Parts: sequence; structure tokens; C-alpha cells
Amino acid sequence: MALFRKKTDVISADLASQIGESEGLGVQLRRMARKNKLAVASAVFLALLILAAVFVPLLSPYDAVNGDASIRLQAPTAAHWLGTDEMGRDVLTRLLYGARISLAVGVVPTLISMVIGVALGVVAGYAGGKTDYIIMRLADVMLAFPSLLLAMVIMYTLGDGVMNIFLALALVGWASVARVARSETISLKETEYVQAARSIGVSPGRIILRHILPNCLPALIVLFTLNIPSAILSESSLSFLGVGVKLPNSSWGLMVNMGRQFLYNAPWISLAPSAAIMLVVLSCNFLGDGLRDALDPHLNNE
Amino acid sequence: MRKHLAFVLVLAMFMSLAAIPAYAAEEEKVLNLAAESDILTMDVALTTDDYFIPHNVFDRLFEIKVQPDGSTEIVPSLVADYSVSEDGLTYTFKLVEGVTFSNGEALTASDVKYTFEHLLTVPGACNYDIAQEVAGAQALLDGEAEELEGIVVEDDYNFTLTLEAANAGYLAELTSPAMSIIDKETVESVDGFGMEPADTIGSGPYIVSEWVPNDHFTLTRNENYWGEAPDADVVVMNVVPDANTQNLMFQSGELDIIDLDALDASIIDSVYKTTYADSIVPGYRVGVTFMSMNENNEFLSDVNVRKAVQMAIDRQGLLDNFYGGDGIIQNGMIATGVWGHNEDLEPIVYDPEGAKALLAEAGYEEGEISFEFSLDSSSGDTTAMVYQQIAQDLAAVGINVDIVSYDESAWLDFRRTEEMPAFIGTWTMDYNDPANILGTFFSNSTSGRSLNYADQEIKDRVDAASSIMDDDERMAEYQAIEEAIVVEDAAVVPLYERAHLFCIGEKVESFVPHWAGFSNFFVRDVEMK
Amino acid sequence: MSTLKSIIRRVISSIPVLIGVVLVIYLILRILPGNAILTMMGEHAREDVVQQISAELGLDKPWYVQFWVYVTGLFTGDMGTSIKYHKPVSELIAAYFPVTIKLSVMAALVAWAVGILCGVISAMRKDRLADRLGMGFSLLGISVPVFMTAMVLQYLLAYKLKWFPIQGTKEGLVCYVLPAIALGWSSAGSVARLTRSTLLEVMGSDYIDTARAKGRSVPGAVVFHALRNAMIPVITVMAIQISSLLSGAVITETIFSLPGIGRLCIDAISGRDVPLLQGSVIFATVLVIAGNLVADCLYSVLDPRIRKEG
Repeated sequence: MALFRKKTDVISADLASQIGESEGLGVQLRRMARKNKLAVASAVFLALLILAAVFVPLLSPYDAVNGDASIRLQAPTAAHWLGTDEMGRDVLTRLLYGARISLAVGVVPTLISMVIGVALGVVAGYAGGKTDYIIMRLADVMLAFPSLLLAMVIMYTLGDGVMNIFLALALVGWASVARVARSETISLKETEYVQAARSIGVSPGRIILRHILPNCLPALIVLFTLNIPSAILSESSLSFLGVGVKLPNSSWGLMVNMGRQFLYNAPWISLAPSAAIMLVVLSCNFLGDGLRDALDPHLNNE
Repeated sequence: MRKHLAFVLVLAMFMSLAAIPAYAAEEEKVLNLAAESDILTMDVALTTDDYFIPHNVFDRLFEIKVQPDGSTEIVPSLVADYSVSEDGLTYTFKLVEGVTFSNGEALTASDVKYTFEHLLTVPGACNYDIAQEVAGAQALLDGEAEELEGIVVEDDYNFTLTLEAANAGYLAELTSPAMSIIDKETVESVDGFGMEPADTIGSGPYIVSEWVPNDHFTLTRNENYWGEAPDADVVVMNVVPDANTQNLMFQSGELDIIDLDALDASIIDSVYKTTYADSIVPGYRVGVTFMSMNENNEFLSDVNVRKAVQMAIDRQGLLDNFYGGDGIIQNGMIATGVWGHNEDLEPIVYDPEGAKALLAEAGYEEGEISFEFSLDSSSGDTTAMVYQQIAQDLAAVGINVDIVSYDESAWLDFRRTEEMPAFIGTWTMDYNDPANILGTFFSNSTSGRSLNYADQEIKDRVDAASSIMDDDERMAEYQAIEEAIVVEDAAVVPLYERAHLFCIGEKVESFVPHWAGFSNFFVRDVEMK
Repeated sequence: MSTLKSIIRRVISSIPVLIGVVLVIYLILRILPGNAILTMMGEHAREDVVQQISAELGLDKPWYVQFWVYVTGLFTGDMGTSIKYHKPVSELIAAYFPVTIKLSVMAALVAWAVGILCGVISAMRKDRLADRLGMGFSLLGISVPVFMTAMVLQYLLAYKLKWFPIQGTKEGLVCYVLPAIALGWSSAGSVARLTRSTLLEVMGSDYIDTARAKGRSVPGAVVFHALRNAMIPVITVMAIQISSLLSGAVITETIFSLPGIGRLCIDAISGRDVPLLQGSVIFATVLVIAGNLVADCLYSVLDPRIRKEG
């Protein structure tokens, strides 16, 4: 019995077994592209944003750090599409530079937490018994913490810095992944082909790598897409509270924090990064939903 | 269950709506104020920040009075009469008779002596600089004495105070909030002095009636106050960390006086200097905002580098762009409004090309000089912007600074180690005498300021100056010292004295800010309609 | 009888989690690189001073000895003394937590009311405009950062329209309405989506399709009947919300200047107050565990199948 449940539990536990071996990932993704326009639009938006963030030095004539204080807090104009900020810097340019950190904060800690969570979850599910008990109680413990508070405490201990945010969010996020990976593993363990492989003496490591992990993949991809937004939101909350990214680095959360006092006379400074956070989170959610619909026929009751 | 939920929700809404009108109808004159952070203690011996309660709930031997022309004067408060010995060491005081604490106990000479002892010996004491100047303070601190030898109580109202070394500015120091007189019997008999409102007894115009931590505290008028009664019956100090929220509260009438210090210049320009132009109460934070340059630092130990930094910063640009021009550029440490301020000090000129040339001449390559610029992240958004702008200005002459943010206490701890390379500090005068700022930063007793000012002769002169009993001579000496520090040694970059603006609401008739522009002003200087 | 037994079993099974929580926080604050005592004193603190302070706080002893001292202290309600406030941590928490409780309960009410309403409407009008609007509204709640919602609500409803106080708690429960809406909206989304999908499942899509084919909307009575069954998984999700509500409370308490546990944590961090930070995080986590326990118990009472299995 699990004491705590996360939204990811809603993803059907026996999902992998439903997918079967017949359909490849590519086929499923193409089907999604046909059926779910919103998910496709989201994927395109995210791709464009990543490109813009990578190539912003080529795209923008402005500097990310140095501004012209004499034109601070200017409303959007043809020269500054999203206006200027409190230091007289171009908000759009800052937004795209900030996207580097914010997107990285979405992806990197999520990846780390996936690796930790999958490793522990698969081991727990496959080994069962005491190993399972210990790992899952540890997951219970991690899930019991209000995630933002735990991230704050970890940031406090590690000190500021983007790397530390990665680590803090990864440490906070692995437990829910382990939950899903474990239940996937348990249901896959009972399938005929795994049973067959075990009976002819295939080593556990090989079974996990060859049979269990590949079949967990669809569920994990969905989980990955759905966990990115929460990492982005956590970072923005941490930075907003002043325990996340700090000057002179910039992330969307920090931009909102710095622009907060101008919400009433120069709202573009904080609204632009807020809207960016919202759009990215929405896109990830749409994409995650689309992937789930495509990869998990069981939930396709719509 | 669903129905119940809905019912509870609706009920909750109604109950809360019903609570509003009860709050509005009050006959009393209530003054609503807001502070960015809560006080940590009401005992002034344990804080160098939380001065609102000391100012309004306690009295001092002397006070500073602002004259109509803006100048300040030291006036006796609890003292009826006093004299100073020829050598400037011994002060004879006579207290005003009939002064009582709010619990009815008389304020006597032994309370004054106890105040000094409390400042020195209470666990966690941090505000003892002034008390420490009294003869015998060290023995008391070291545990070699039971009482403070330098204060001799003659009777209830007469006592003498002997200093370890003469200090011409000592009466000015006695006006500091640190020197608030406490009641010996109360402090000795209760557990919660400084923490519990009922146990925190003073002789001032107000009584602390309630303290809800991190929410608000309330002062009510002391009906038995020995002096002139203040106008407001009740003072509510709300803890509102966000300056923007304070702004909204003031505009909707929930605050009667707003401290505009934390608001961005753009908001002051667009809202206050337009809609509330007639209600702005101008004033200055008497003191100086400066950039420190630690002489222990590899690069900053070179006077040429320090001079280049002085020349590279566009101080007028900082003041105009980030403070809406509300302030006065300072070329020295004895700021405008401080006794002994020197108008004729050589101005520091903004000259980036000159700075570059100076660095090249001194043999530095572009980008060779770099040091950390340490930011206290609690010091406000505008300060953070000033840091970024200074970094930009310095980069323009080839000096790279790394802005590193610290939490307030980590920042203070770092500075205490004497290793912080550079920071921006604002010194607001505790009492109006140059000794306050020069003694803090450039004397032999300076410690933990991360300046490491190296000129021993000047440090000795700072220490010696306070015992020059002739005021003109003393001020001339301070001005000479200031010139040596700022112009010759370029030990700091004086930036500006910032204006400290307040805005009063409809319920307030008039308000005179604290003479030095403290946020913790005297409520007795507020007149209500 | 069996219900009581299962409740007791659940309570017992949460004890190792509780101990784990205390251990994890304790270790994070003491063992991770960037030793918290050093952090407390600034990274440039002198070594001898650090050692002296460590000895004073008993930190020179092995960590398991310190942990034992701390845990035995916890059982007597002793959570140490706050460095910043010079008061027992337990006393501070007792003073601050009612605010957080009020805020969280009201936010939960908002989340559930909005979430269930959106979910029901969406299910009844499946694939029509109302469905899309309902789902869009609740998804937006998940996606907009809580601080943005809070600041916009504060500006529009409190400052412009003057319907609510701008900040503080002086005016009673009405002060909690805006923070609760900001906080609740962010949790409403998952409740709405779950309500919708379980409702659809319970009612059976075919039934609705038939109703619609006949040009009728789904009768309210049917929905309400279905809702009753659909509530069971929803309650579980509500329990999960407690954790995210407490996380979000940190932000809303900051914006609306409410003196709650979240503010206490922020205070503890900026004041480098390790005992206070440790105490308030542990306390918040205990609230989450307790909330989950209650939900588990409710779940087993409401759902006979679980009860039988349990």
C-alpha cells in the first residue's frame, strides 16, 4: 500500500502490457500527429523557443547584461518589442536568454530524476521483498515533503547557483518516477515473455534492459513531458522567493521577481516572463496529454 | 457532503463580509503605518535596527530637535540640568523630577545606571558602543566588576558619569535610540522584557499594547505621560514585506503614512509626484551611501585602481536613473546635514577616459582587474540595480566585477571577516557628529567592516579628534581627515545622500520626519486631523 | 470493526515515514556539502569560531547521537530554540500554523468547488464548447504561476474594486479569500480533469452519446448519482493536494503578508535559522502525512471494496 499518490499514478499501471510489441513508437507518434493538432502545435512552439534561445545572440541586436539606464521601463515599441526593463535592457532579449536557464531547469533535473527514479523503481519492482520495501518507504518519505519546501531547504544547504537548482529539483522529483517505474515493472514481470525468459535462466540485468525498460519507455516519455512543467514552475517559485537563480544570472522566475514592483506601471517586465512560463507549461501539458493518448490506448476513452 | 461543502463556503464568505463594517467605525485617531519587516525585539540592547519601539515607548536623557530652518539641536529630555568638567571626562546630571514609567514607578538615577549596565551585560548585547565609553565598562564586561564604576548615583535624581576618555560628542551620542532608559525593577522582575508587550515598560508617550509577530503591533497612548501628549491615540504598525503592497494600501487609504524608500523612482514619479504631489514630505537620510574598496584586495590595495574606480562611476547617472534625482551627490563621508560637512571638498569627476588612462599608466591591462562585488540580497531591488549599473560602468573602463548575492546574515558574516572586496553601504547617522561615521570606518577600533583602511596616522588622528574640546578646531580636524581619506587615499567612493520621502494620507495634518531620515520615526511628530 | 483496524494499521504504517522525514531533513541540513553551520555563519567564517559554535550546539558529536537527542526532544515537543527569534521553535510554530491551516483549508475548498464544478460541466457537455471552456479554465490554473495569479487578484479585486483587504489577517476570514483563490485555482485543474474522466467512466460514454443522439442533455439527477461514485478517486487526489497547497502557501503568504508557516520558513532561511527551518519543514510535512492518513481512512470508509480487501 502506498501512502502517497501523485498525479502520475493516474497513468495506468498496466499501460505497457496494453501497448504490446506490435506497434512501434514512430507509428504511435504519427497517429498522435494526425489526431491531436494541439499537441503538434505545442511541439512546434517548444522547438521554435529552443531554437530562438540558442540563436538569440544572432537574432537580437541587444545585450543580455548591459542596458541603457536612461531608457529604463519603456513600453513596447518597434525597437523593443516587449519594452525595456528596470535596467533599460530589451525584455525580449532577456526573455530569450532567460529561456536557456528556464528550459534547462525544466529538462536537466527532470532527466536526472528520471534516471534515479527509474533505476530505483525498476530494482524495487523487480527485486521485491525488503529491497522494495526500503526503496518505496524512502519514496514515501520524499513524497511526504511539500516539494517547494524541500527544494528550499536543499537550496539553502547547497547555496545558490544553477547547478544546485538542478540538483535540488532532481532530488525532489525522483520519488514519483520511482513509483511509476515500479508498478510498470511489477506488471511487466508477470507477462508471459518475461516469465519465459526467467524460466530459461536469462539474467535479471538482461531482462531489465531487454524487456522491461523498453516497455516502460512510453509511460516514461509521458511522465517526462508532464514533469517538465512542474520543474519550470518550481524554479520560478524558488527564484521568485529569492532562493533560486540569483543575479547576475537570469531566469524567468527571477525576471518576474525583479519586475514585480513594476506590475502597475511597467507590467510587461513581469507579464512577459509569466506568459512565457504559462505557455511553456501549457505546451508541455498538451504535448504530454497527446503523447499519453497516442501511447496508451487504454486511456483513449474520448 | 457536496451540499455541506457549498454551504460552508457560502457561510464563510458571508461571515467574512460581515466582519468588514465593524472595523471602519472608530472614534479614536488611529494612525496606520507599515514596515517591511517585523521587529525581532523591543529591547534596544539586542538590536541596532529595531528602533521604532525605543523611539516611541522609551525616553532618553537628551533628544535631537529639528529647528524650523532644518538644522538640528541637542536638547535635554529626561535631564533637567547638567554640567561637564574642564577635562571633558566627568558629567554631572540632574534628572527631571516626577517622571514615571507607564507602570507608575518613578524614573530615577539608578534606572539610568542600570540601563548602561543592561546594555553591556545582557546576553546577546550588540548595541553597547556608547555605554562602553564609560569608565569601568571593560571591567564589567570582563566580569571583574559587579557594577559600572563610572556612574555614581548620588540620590534619586542626581548622578555623575565619568568617561574613559574625553569625547566632545558624548551628549550627541546620548540621543541615540540605544540610550533609551529602562526600568530596573521591571527588567529584573519580569521574564519577557523586550518580548512581551506587558513586560516591556517604558516612560515614553506610547505603550505597546499588542504584538502579533510578522503581522502587526499596536501602540496606545500612555495617558500618564510626563511630557506633551502626542496626537494619535493608537498606532498600528503593519508588517508588509512587499513595497508594492504598501503602495496599494496607501492608495486605498489603508495606510496613513507611507515610507517611499523602497518604491522604485518610476512609481514615485508616476503616482506620488503627480496625484499626491502636495502630500509628499521631503527629507534626507542624513548620511552617505558609498562603495567600499577593501585595501586587502589584490587590486584594490593600489591607490591608482581605487582612484580609477572613483572616476569610472557615473554617480549622477545612478541618482537620476534609479532614484529619480532625489538626493545630493557627496564627495566626502561627512554628508550634507552632518555637523562639519565640507561644501568645498574637491569634487570627484566622472571621467571614464581618465580612469582608463590612469589604469594604463599604472600598468594594468584591460580586463586584468577583477574582484567580487558582494550584494546583500535583502537590501532592495533598487540597490541591486545600482550594483548592476556600477558593474556596467566599471566594465566600460576595463574593470570586471562579479556581482555575488548573499542572504543578509551571510553577507554580514562575510563582511565581518574583513575579506569582502567591495560592497555598497549606506551609513545613516546615529547622532549628529562626524565621529559617528569616521570612528566607525576609519579608526583604530574599526573592525569587521571589510575596508582595512591602512593609513595608521589618519586612524590615530580620528581617535584623537574626539577629545578636542573646541568645536571649530575639532570640525577642522575632521575635515582634514576626510580629505586625506577620500581625496588622497581614495579609500571609498562616496556616492550620494539619498532623499527619504514619505507621503501622508488624508487623516494626517502634518508630519516631521526623523532628523536623520530614519524609517523608525517619532510618532509625536505626527499631527492628525 | 474492520474499518477501525485498517485505520490503526494505516496510522502505524506512517510511523516509519515520519521518522524518515525527520532523518532526511536532519541529514540534508547537516551532511550535504555546504555544512549548514558554516552556512549559518557565512562561508568565510573562521575555523576556530565554527568549531567553538559547533561544540556549543553539540555538533561535534557523531550525527546519530545528535539525531537521537533531536528526536527524543521531538517527542516531548522540544524542537530546539530559534536563533533569530530567541524563542522555542514549537512556540513559534504554534503561533503561525493556524494561519496556514485557514489558508490551506479555504484554498482546498476553492480547488474542490471549482474543480468539481468544471469537471461536472465538462462531463455533462462532453466535447461541446462548455467542456472545452471548463477544461481550458482548469488547465490554465495549473499553468499560470501562483505568484502571478496572486498579484493580479490583489491588484484587481483588492486594490481596484476594493472587495477584499490587500494584505494581512486583521480583518478576519475575508483576508484569506484572495490568497485562497490564487492557491486553489492552481490545484483545481487536476481535480477537474479527474472528476471529468471518472464521471464519464462511471456514467458510461455510451449512455451520454445516446442521450445526445436523442437531442437531450444529460439529466442532472444522473450526474449527481454518478458523482457520488466518482468522488472516491477524487478524494485521493484531494489528499495529494495538501502537499502542493502547503508549497503554494509559501508564495501566497509572502504576497499577501500572512504570518504562516511559509513565511516562517522564508524568515528562517534569510535569517540562517537552522532550528526554525528544520522545525517548520518537519511540521509542514507532518501535516501532509496526517492529511494523507485522513484521506486514506475516508477512502476506506467510502469504498466498500477497499474495506473488504483491507
